[in-house]
Amino acid sequence: MTLFWKWTIGVALALFLVAFIGLSLMAGSPKDAYGMVRYALPHMHRGKLKVGDDAPDVRLVALNGSDHFHIRERTGAKPLVLVFGSFT
Amino acid sequence: MGDIAKIYDDYKDHADFLTVYVREAHPTDEWQMKSNVKDDVCYAQPKNLKQRVDIANDFISRFKYPLPFGVDDMGNAAENAYSAWPERLYVIDEHGHIAYRGGMGPFNYNPKELRGWLSARYGEVKHDDAKPAARDPAKPL
Repeated sequence: MTLFWKWTIGVALALFLVAFIGLSLMAGSPKDAYGMVRYALPHMHRGKLKVGDDAPDVRLVALNGSDHFHIRERTGAKPLVLVFGSFT
Repeated sequence: MGDIAKIYDDYKDHADFLTVYVREAHPTDEWQMKSNVKDDVCYAQPKNLKQRVDIANDFISRFKYPLPFGVDDMGNAAENAYSAWPERLYVIDEHGHIAYRGGMGPFNYNPKELRGWLSARYGEVKHDDAKPAARDPAKPL
């Protein structure tokens, strides 16, 4: 292995370690850092919607688990506040 | 979430509200957090719609959550259309356009900003607990 590659690999490992330690501190623990990278970051998107765009219509399921309705059925008379989230 | 219920209470005459229940953010089989255990909110990521609807119903009964509610289907169409995971706020105006787009949760999830949008349009709703504390009469001014 040439000196160049030794240094490149060394620096890459050092950067990875620093990033992992940084993430661990930010997320709370190394396990949280892993969880964040594995399960959260890939699913978090800024998205392309902008103020003024047509709001996408989506079919949702009612709380009885069988009925459906569309977001657009709830718009028109007043502004509609959408709150996305989950229990956990 | 308490913030959202309060905003709903303050502005439900002016705006409609809809909660959209999306994929779990911290299920037991993915990135579970200590706070989930502490708060006894331990669920695996639902594998089918019934499981997701059941957790949504648990959530509503646990917190007596007052907002109208819909559940994203297992294809996660709403989550994808609105880039909404793990949590996010939007307002759609009367013409079907996006009027307010909240930041990506959890770090930029900001109910205060939503309240700001609503209060700019419909006026501020004052709460008793927001008033300055009464002056202690024993102390001179």
